[in-house]
Amino acid sequence: MTTASKPRVPIKPGLFTVPEDPSAAPKFLCTRCEDCGEHFFPRRAICAKCLSEKTADVECEGRGTLYSYTFVHIPLFGSTNIEHVEGYGVGQIDLPEGPRLQMPLAGKQAEFRIGQQLRAELDKLRDDDSGREVVIPRFRPVGAGR
Amino acid sequence: MYPFGTYYDGSNGEMARKAGMAALKDAGLSFRDVNAAYVGHIFAQVMSGVRVMKEFGLTGIPVQRIENASATGSACFREACLAVSAGHHDVAMVLGFDKMTTMIQQSTQGTAPENMEDAILPAAFFALWATRRMHERGMKPEHLARIGAKNFNNGALNPMSQRQAKAAVTWEKVVESRMVAWPLTTMMSCPIGDGAACAIVGRADLAKKLHPDRPVVRVTASTLQSERYVPGHIFQGPVVGPAQMTVDASKEVYEEAGVGPEDLDLVQVHDAFAIEELEYYELLGLCKEGEAEKCIEQGDFERGGRVAVSTDGGLIARGHPGGPTGLAQIWETTLQLRGEAGKRQLDKPRIGLCHMMGGGSVCVIHILQRD
Repeated sequence: MTTASKPRVPIKPGLFTVPEDPSAAPKFLCTRCEDCGEHFFPRRAICAKCLSEKTADVECEGRGTLYSYTFVHIPLFGSTNIEHVEGYGVGQIDLPEGPRLQMPLAGKQAEFRIGQQLRAELDKLRDDDSGREVVIPRFRPVGAGR
Repeated sequence: MYPFGTYYDGSNGEMARKAGMAALKDAGLSFRDVNAAYVGHIFAQVMSGVRVMKEFGLTGIPVQRIENASATGSACFREACLAVSAGHHDVAMVLGFDKMTTMIQQSTQGTAPENMEDAILPAAFFALWATRRMHERGMKPEHLARIGAKNFNNGALNPMSQRQAKAAVTWEKVVESRMVAWPLTTMMSCPIGDGAACAIVGRADLAKKLHPDRPVVRVTASTLQSERYVPGHIFQGPVVGPAQMTVDASKEVYEEAGVGPEDLDLVQVHDAFAIEELEYYELLGLCKEGEAEKCIEQGDFERGGRVAVSTDGGLIARGHPGGPTGLAQIWETTLQLRGEAGKRQLDKPRIGLCHMMGGGSVCVIHILQRD
């Protein structure tokens, strides 16, 4: 296990974990309905399917199947990351538990195809004023190198 | 209507007043005859509905501002129809306006990294539909480009259209325009713009009395639906869907109006991106599931085709400022049904459908019929 050189903070709290080990995949903060078993991302108090209030917080592993994707040719948040500038990927990823996520992708357009397995990683977007790395989850094809 | 365009120096009040006065004049009414106003304005400050209505004079009528994202104007129109048909009012004014140019300039939240969902732009969201469609149905960018070209060419015949192509637009030109979110190009996407539109909704006998020689255009069905949960529902970003919502909403209006999709002469849809128009052909029942590509190749949805879609240029060419967009659809359909649509007039249409989606999301559909 390696430790990140700088402290890392999520772009927005309450959506995903930021593991101590920078090579570890983030987990997504989800809700499971105790009555009907449906899973949701992000977390919610009432089941959207059966309306039960018996819901529990769960963490889902950062991996899933690519449902669809695109590459956007507008810089991501003014980022100077070359991958963002050339067009950044956005995908819909189905977690095995059920939730469909809409998340940025890591990699070039030619690497993606519908139905492939992806793994989440945390990508540095910028440093904040306290010198911490602000990170955003992105999904990369399983087996592809960084 | 106030022509859709980019008016960096214009004000919402001025656009709204001009669109409203034009609609009153068309109806043969004065603002004193208006019993209630429904104001559609998305990028709104507090009080902006009632303050803009003061442009017309202060007569004490009830004024309500309503917001439902892209479907704002359509949602206002529905409230006016419900109020008039219930007998609460004889005449209601529906006024939509927005300045997307100002919104884009002033927006801080819209592009802030803190809103992680903003990585998913509307263009990206609909591009995801397009990629999936290519995977499932073998759709090609050419099909989307043919929709873009059709709407640009329709818009060129509409003086209210934001985009005015000087020469006939080919699908090849649409494919080659700048990429926004693969496979969607700028000419497959609606522009950023400003504008205003107004509709006067009144009792049918009053309309007949005011204009004895003009066909009365009746609203024979109206619905607004929000989403029902289906697995795979996305809770983040500027989502529109699930697709089933348009199917359910259209079934409801067809039943209410006593017509079917085969009876429609013209249709306006939420074509913010060409992939949407393609999907709505099937979801509204204008063609069978899986046949949209074939029907596009046959020209089924061109003016003069089986059922003309986006006859005024649609969101892609006519424009999509926000609040007035749904009312521009009502304006176009009314003109077509009356036979007053000028160069783009269809051959004696009788029944038109107006479909809008609002992010979040909602689906609003109206059916208009001439007597």
